[in-house]
Amino acid sequence: MTLELAVRIAEIVLGVAIFQQSIEFVRGIQPEKTLGFIRALFAILLTAGIQPLLVETALVVTSIILIRRFRGPYNGGSDTMTMLVLGCLWLSHLAPSRYWQEIAVGYLAIQLILSYFQSGWVKVVNAQWRSGEALQQVFAVSAYPVSHQVRLLARRPALLLYMSWAVIIFELVFPLALLHQTLLIIALVVAGLFHLANAWLFGLNRFFWIWPAAYPIIIWFQSRLMVALQ
Amino acid sequence: MKLLRLILPVLFPSWRFFSSIGPSPRIEVGFASTAQLEPADWFPVFPLPEKISFTSGIVQLLHNPKWNDRLYINTCAEHLFESHSEFHEQQIAQRLLHLISAREIPVPINAQTLFFRVRALVAENGQLTEDITFISRAFSLPTSGDDK
Repeated sequence: MTLELAVRIAEIVLGVAIFQQSIEFVRGIQPEKTLGFIRALFAILLTAGIQPLLVETALVVTSIILIRRFRGPYNGGSDTMTMLVLGCLWLSHLAPSRYWQEIAVGYLAIQLILSYFQSGWVKVVNAQWRSGEALQQVFAVSAYPVSHQVRLLARRPALLLYMSWAVIIFELVFPLALLHQTLLIIALVVAGLFHLANAWLFGLNRFFWIWPAAYPIIIWFQSRLMVALQ
Repeated sequence: MKLLRLILPVLFPSWRFFSSIGPSPRIEVGFASTAQLEPADWFPVFPLPEKISFTSGIVQLLHNPKWNDRLYINTCAEHLFESHSEFHEQQIAQRLLHLISAREIPVPINAQTLFFRVRALVAENGQLTEDITFISRAFSLPTSGDDK
């Protein structure tokens, strides 16, 4: 995949993700209601590929306004990833040369890898995660389960132990997927299903839309890495 | 400088999802006829549904503003575990008042003020313990036509 194609596909998915986030604001309170409308319009332009540099500049400005408004990200990691994808794509348009373009999107690819690997690392060094107890507490106590039926999974310790280790192993081995493109595609499908499960069980729907925006970039990054290593 | 402190963690993030499971907040609302009186009863907000149908699950994958606002309120409540913050107290109150305006939280007759409190739930050695960590000041309830 060429860099240009990867950036374009990433912009399409990013536009969809920002539109989805923005529409969620429009029945809320001010000023995010107005900002939601404005960002939804820019998101449509971004997906359509109209003036990407100008549109992304406007989205970067409104993202900073939102961060200031909420004194940090509104929706934690999903807003962080949105800002990272947006910022890196924006910088790739501003970059004075191919070299700096690659640095900008390469940074996004590295952050995507870290988003899985670091999450796996903090879990594997935690005894509560290794025993399945942490995930049991997520289901039993945390505010995330979307229904009582989902909360009841806390009573299935054996299943939660398998689930904990499945998540830990997947997150830790994710960087190894860079060794081969087919392996990477499989890892990204599994990652997409992982975000789908998080959306289904914990209502984290924004993560499901924004993480795939970085996937075309990592596919480009993997092929660029192979070329560099040859 | 303050803005930079907010933006830097976004540009150089730490991806530590669920690294540890801390106390979990639950929000309850109470009402009184004046700001000087304390609420006699507290009511939980955001009760969980028994289950979510497949169709609702699909819709919520696309559009789930109430749930995401609830998660934001929980984040604000977690800040209140650490220390009092006028900003986070105000953020929770604004959203609760909006829900009252939208008639999503029922209000008793003659109630003039809203209070909210935060309960912290902790699971330790298989036991669930809870503690009230914060009680808000009084907020005037919206009159008809507010919050437009």
